[in-house]
Amino acid sequence: MNSIFKNILIGLSAVRTNLTRVILTSLGLAIGIFTVSIVTAGVSSIDKEFDKSMEYFGNDKIYVGTWPWSFDFDWWQYRNRPKIDEDSLEYITRYSTYVTDISIKKSTWTRGSFSNKSSFLQINGVYPSYAEMLSGTKIVNGRFFSQNEWDLQRRVIVVGGTVRDGFFDGEDPIGKKIRLGGVTFEIIGELKKQGMGMVPGGTLDTLVIMPSSTFNRILTRWGFAELVLKTKPEDMSKAKEEVGMIMRLARKLKPGESDNFSVNSADAYQEQFDAIKIAIAGMGFLVTGISLVVSAIGIMNVMFVSVRERTREIGIRKAMGATNNNILVQFLSEAVAISIIGGSTGIILVKLITVALSSYLPVEFNLLLIFYTFMVCVFIGVSAGMIPARTAANLNPIDALRHE
Amino acid sequence: MSKSKKEIISMDSISKIYHLGNNVVKALDNVSINIYENDFISIMGPSGSGKSTLMNMIGCLDVPTKGVYKFNNELISEMNDSQLANIRNEKIGFVFQTFNLLPKLTSLKNVEVPLIYSSLGKKKRLQRAEEALSIVGLSDRMAHKPSELSGGQRQRVAIARALVNKPSIILADEPTGNLDSKSGIEILNFFDELHKAGNTLIIVTHEDSVAKRAKRRVELFDGKIVVDE
Repeated sequence: MNSIFKNILIGLSAVRTNLTRVILTSLGLAIGIFTVSIVTAGVSSIDKEFDKSMEYFGNDKIYVGTWPWSFDFDWWQYRNRPKIDEDSLEYITRYSTYVTDISIKKSTWTRGSFSNKSSFLQINGVYPSYAEMLSGTKIVNGRFFSQNEWDLQRRVIVVGGTVRDGFFDGEDPIGKKIRLGGVTFEIIGELKKQGMGMVPGGTLDTLVIMPSSTFNRILTRWGFAELVLKTKPEDMSKAKEEVGMIMRLARKLKPGESDNFSVNSADAYQEQFDAIKIAIAGMGFLVTGISLVVSAIGIMNVMFVSVRERTREIGIRKAMGATNNNILVQFLSEAVAISIIGGSTGIILVKLITVALSSYLPVEFNLLLIFYTFMVCVFIGVSAGMIPARTAANLNPIDALRHE
Repeated sequence: MSKSKKEIISMDSISKIYHLGNNVVKALDNVSINIYENDFISIMGPSGSGKSTLMNMIGCLDVPTKGVYKFNNELISEMNDSQLANIRNEKIGFVFQTFNLLPKLTSLKNVEVPLIYSSLGKKKRLQRAEEALSIVGLSDRMAHKPSELSGGQRQRVAIARALVNKPSIILADEPTGNLDSKSGIEILNFFDELHKAGNTLIIVTHEDSVAKRAKRRVELFDGKIVVDE
């Protein structure tokens, strides 16, 4: 052990005497490590953001609509499907065994205004049961509307965090009246702010929620509609299957006719997202992997130069009693040192960039990243240094001593 | 040469054969030699006579193709690379014509090199290196690099390096070949002192004046020992 340490020191002293060359060589690896870390951090933060977005949809929610949740849908196939209506909702309520809560969700956009502020807002019309289905958020102030208010088509609304901030800027919005499409509504509840998600339509922050009865009466009888169903997470796939059957019944579809509705849930996004993530990560790692290989070749090259330059030194050391392993360790540690210098520079670059861009890029910088980088550097150093170091170790001392 | 002296090296019918293309070169042909404690031997011979090969063989830098080589009764001819390295480290001190000091290290660090491959701790190593440098009279040049020393001083550093492990034999290959005559004589006088102090010395040379210092003279020709007196 002691002797390994001594030979490592000899290797390190060679690094010190050739500092310029070492720094130039390690720069390649620094860039490689930098890009790999950025890609890794990028992928992992995309992942995190996505998980957060998925929370908005909930892992216990089924959404029945006209369109499938898909990034590659054939829109012309779906545009003529019948709209989702309350009839289907009643069928599901009556026949489903897995669905525990159900609500319609109608959507439209309209202009909303409060004193001199005005903005285009997305409005959802839902049932009181939707209070149980606020995934990833909850009422933090006030309350949700009641069945009574739904029955009486009252002009009451619950607002998302962004709407609250936009109109009231920290003030208590409860009891305030805002105008939507020319009609005055009273705010009775406020949702906890979720933050931006990656999947469009995921967050409830920008929403104004009202009874669907009121929505129909005042805003529009049309609008985009879907059903939101709640089930137990473990019953998800069975519930989706069951809802699909009930929907076919509600739509009076004959066997052989294809579905004219779509039963969606967050896991559909999950699959597509995984594919995208793999594509991004794959491309990223391919490109950065190549840069690592190139830098490893650079290190190998410099190590060959180093071995050649110091052939006589190797001969002298061997005559003085250095074993092949002593020489091997000496040159391997030189290669690993170059590699670690490069890796550390890369890590410092990553740290600088994460500090500089922390508000734009949610990059994770942690000890684990440093540890992995260190391991990667040791691996690259050993792989790049192995062939030159073996060449050095296996030199015949007589020939090496004669080397000019 | 008295029989009561302890035998260090025993070489029995040693041959070293190289194959250069279709030519078979016998660098050493059936050489037998015994070397005893406190011997002072000169090995002479024209170039190509095999004296370098013999020296490499004695120095355990090379192994024979045929024959039995024993060092302190250990069978060198059967050893692997790292066993040979250990023998070189513990038993043999080398002095080269071109000094072969490491140019980036100070005298002290150069002398320390053989000890690095032994099991000594750092403090002990530096202490031994300092002792060796004071034996060759260079205590005041410990922090100098080889480029800051004269030829004679460099060779003295090299001798200190050869002595530092307290080896059984000191092998010197043309130790005065790169020195002016004054420094050469200094070095040879120093070898005399080492011999008087009980060291075993083997000097490879082609200069008669150098060989005369030795107590025993071995001459090689065409890979064979022709004179041993």
